[in-house]
Amino acid sequence: MLGAAMLLASMAAPASAQSIKAIKFDGLQQLRNQPHDTLYVVNFWATWCKPCIKELPYFEAVTEKYKNQPVKVILVSMDAVEDLDTRVKNFVQKRNLKSKVVLLDEVDANAWIDKLEPKWSGAIPATMVFNNKRKQYEFVESELSAEQLNALILKYKP
Amino acid sequence: MKNAKIPMIYTLCLLFVGLLLAAVPRSESGYAVGDTARDFKLKNVDGKMVSMADQKNAKGFIVTFTCNTCPYAVAYEDRIIALHNKYAPKGYPVIAINPNDVKASPKDSYSDMQQRAKDKKFPFAYVYDQTQEITKAYGATRTPHLYIVEKQKDGTFKVAYIGAIDDNYKDASKVEKKYAEAALDELITGKQIAQPTTKAIGCTIKWKQS
Repeated sequence: MLGAAMLLASMAAPASAQSIKAIKFDGLQQLRNQPHDTLYVVNFWATWCKPCIKELPYFEAVTEKYKNQPVKVILVSMDAVEDLDTRVKNFVQKRNLKSKVVLLDEVDANAWIDKLEPKWSGAIPATMVFNNKRKQYEFVESELSAEQLNALILKYKP
Repeated sequence: MKNAKIPMIYTLCLLFVGLLLAAVPRSESGYAVGDTARDFKLKNVDGKMVSMADQKNAKGFIVTFTCNTCPYAVAYEDRIIALHNKYAPKGYPVIAINPNDVKASPKDSYSDMQQRAKDKKFPFAYVYDQTQEITKAYGATRTPHLYIVEKQKDGTFKVAYIGAIDDNYKDASKVEKKYAEAALDELITGKQIAQPTTKAIGCTIKWKQS
């Protein structure tokens, strides 16, 4: 009993840390199809990807700057699901990331990339911004500077 | 009068095509399946220059853009070695090309490549595209990124397959679809390649800052 209680207690995340869910491609597609009048900024990254890590602070700045506006950053980690509880969670905690983080648990990119974005060759970082209500969409397969990201947001922000 | 109009239309067409080309981002340039791939002359880890034309007996090549630093590329190293060992005797050796700029990715230097090739006992050429000219010509965007080319009767090389090695970067023992091997087997037996392009997640190529 005590053991179970302790296990439960240790599993509960501290209030400040976000819980990170592993999603499958259908979860990603659901996100892509969100009907709200919100600008979604979806960035594909991984803890092992240097240029991705370099641009993460820019996405964090967007989350902070637009926290009361319909702009939502989602950081989709391409790390292996086996690394979620260790590497990815540690990384997110250590950097105190405020943007929502999910992990895409798919090993065969060939099975889903074209369904999401045929122009994407599969290199990360990559970023898509969209507002489905306003039928707005843009995809960038490269590293973004703070200026480029801000320009993208200003272009589409409702 | 009529004749004078034609060059004008041509000029406009060329201008239009030029504008279109200028507007195409890097990821969409480069080769498609069926295109003729250019040969190259790049320095191997043994110090010698490597060209496809030099290997007279080859029927084609598995041109693999890869590097020392990308975890995906590293995860595939043993499988690239296995591909070479299986297909070089059938006429399709691997040529591995490191496309990364050394300033942007210091651990992808030529001496690091030499070390990696030695540590892993690469049985294939591992060459450095220092100017990134070949990488751009092929249109590679990530590591690893495979281009299987087939030698034609006139000595040119036709792109037969572009894409991934298989469907599981994490665990070679759980692979269900060996995309590159299927393409090679079809190519070698003279069949049409059922899936000539595939995709995979990989590390973006570290481009020289202009």
